[in-house]
Amino acid sequence: MSYKKAHPSSFRDPSGYVFVEEGVVKRSITPLYFKQYTTLKESGFFSKLFKNNLLVKHEELSASEVEIIIQPEQIPFITYPYEWSFNQYQQAALLTLKIQKFCLKHDFSLKDASAYNISFYKGKPIFLDTLSFDFYDKNKPWRAYKQFISHFLGPLLLASFHGSKSLKLMSNFIDGIPVKMIASMLPYKTKFNPFLYSNIYLLSKFEDKHNENNGKSKVPSLSKKAQFNIIDSLYNYIKKLTLKEYSEWGNYYQKINYSDDAFVLKSDIINKWISNLNSKKIIDIGGNDGTFVRFLKPKIDHALVCDIDVNAVNHNYKTIKKNKEDHITPFVLDILNPSASIGFNNTERDSFLKRIKNFGPDITLALALIHHMSLSGNITFDMSASFFASFSKYLIIEFPKRTDSWVTHLLDNKAEFKDHFDFYNIENFELHYANHFKILEKLPINNSERVMYLLKHKHD
Amino acid sequence: MNFLYFDPSIGAMIVQVIVAAISGVLLFSKNLVYKVKVFFGVNIDQEDDINIEDSDIEKKEN
Repeated sequence: MSYKKAHPSSFRDPSGYVFVEEGVVKRSITPLYFKQYTTLKESGFFSKLFKNNLLVKHEELSASEVEIIIQPEQIPFITYPYEWSFNQYQQAALLTLKIQKFCLKHDFSLKDASAYNISFYKGKPIFLDTLSFDFYDKNKPWRAYKQFISHFLGPLLLASFHGSKSLKLMSNFIDGIPVKMIASMLPYKTKFNPFLYSNIYLLSKFEDKHNENNGKSKVPSLSKKAQFNIIDSLYNYIKKLTLKEYSEWGNYYQKINYSDDAFVLKSDIINKWISNLNSKKIIDIGGNDGTFVRFLKPKIDHALVCDIDVNAVNHNYKTIKKNKEDHITPFVLDILNPSASIGFNNTERDSFLKRIKNFGPDITLALALIHHMSLSGNITFDMSASFFASFSKYLIIEFPKRTDSWVTHLLDNKAEFKDHFDFYNIENFELHYANHFKILEKLPINNSERVMYLLKHKHD
Repeated sequence: MNFLYFDPSIGAMIVQVIVAAISGVLLFSKNLVYKVKVFFGVNIDQEDDINIEDSDIEKKEN
């Protein structure tokens, strides 16, 4: 039908597909969805969603009898559910419910409730799938209800009871965590909570019971008022969910091991370099709660801040929300095991490396990171240099010397294997990084055992 | 018309009747508590409300 190649993640819904043309993401709509699309557009429902920042804005590029093409606002970096912190995940769930309630009021309904329909843009969650909106079928239950439970309520419950690291499970269950599994992982006492009993345990039982009835059961009728009840109670419950865990990194900057003067000096150096290079897009790897990015004086268009610590990322997100910052995108990333490509053909959800290469940061910040990579992760200098070189034009890297208190601590932890880490010294670091980067500047931070480097990729 | 491109699970469709009934009771009692709190002047957090009113959108436009 069309010469355009659909994006590998866009095959589930026959209403249309996403494709990329000269680096621009566009959406093709098939005649199957023309009626819905036209009604959504002409009734002004799309513009209501846009005005409330619920749905990503789009403009119509062309319309023929066989195809309508729209171009959504381009989102520079997509984060996936398994890279969100608890509060991000919670806000994404609430947004989905908010949209569904708004839809119902206008006689529409979300035909799916996948967590991948949402990403974070300008500091807020936003709904990406323009073709998820369908007509409300009178007195029909919500067909995306189960999907909502396995994509949102389930993961959030597991995070609340077992810690936010369990959100990572979503990378193994691309279609959401099976309801039966959620039920099996919740504490026994939850069976006595009527909300959880009905939304998790009963759902799991009913799924099992009707599993093999081959379409013989009739879909029951459910009034709109009853559907509002489900949505309102889901919303109220999720809104109140909290995490019960403590983070050792959450208040990193209060525990930091060099003096305030050194911190100011470090940020002065970085500010000077970033402003000289006129960088607009940056990534701060191991950026904790975004404290450093907030110290940057030059105007940055997009700052990605990732960290392995889910609580630090959560703290970052809360700060973004509180300060209404629109240029920071926080996400969880383990540098020793970055998000892989997953889904069918391993192409549905892109790996971190693929996305970061597309994003193309002007500068990569790796502050207080190399000693963790080298000494905790056993990553050689050559390996880390080639990793950074795969997506960075410029790299600002902080090197803590062997005499630094953190490095000494990490080395002491190695006990009798300490000798295997003799390679960790500044000469070796420079030697190996020089294979990929040119050292433009090198400045020691006074009153500390750390050195700042500004490096430029050799092939750029 | 719905295009069933994923299985909504018939069990999940049926269970919604019960979930809705239980939710109804929960919301009713929550509203009751809310009204009592309002009556006694307890401050209630209104942040992150689910409802989007059309009148709010018009205000934003003006």
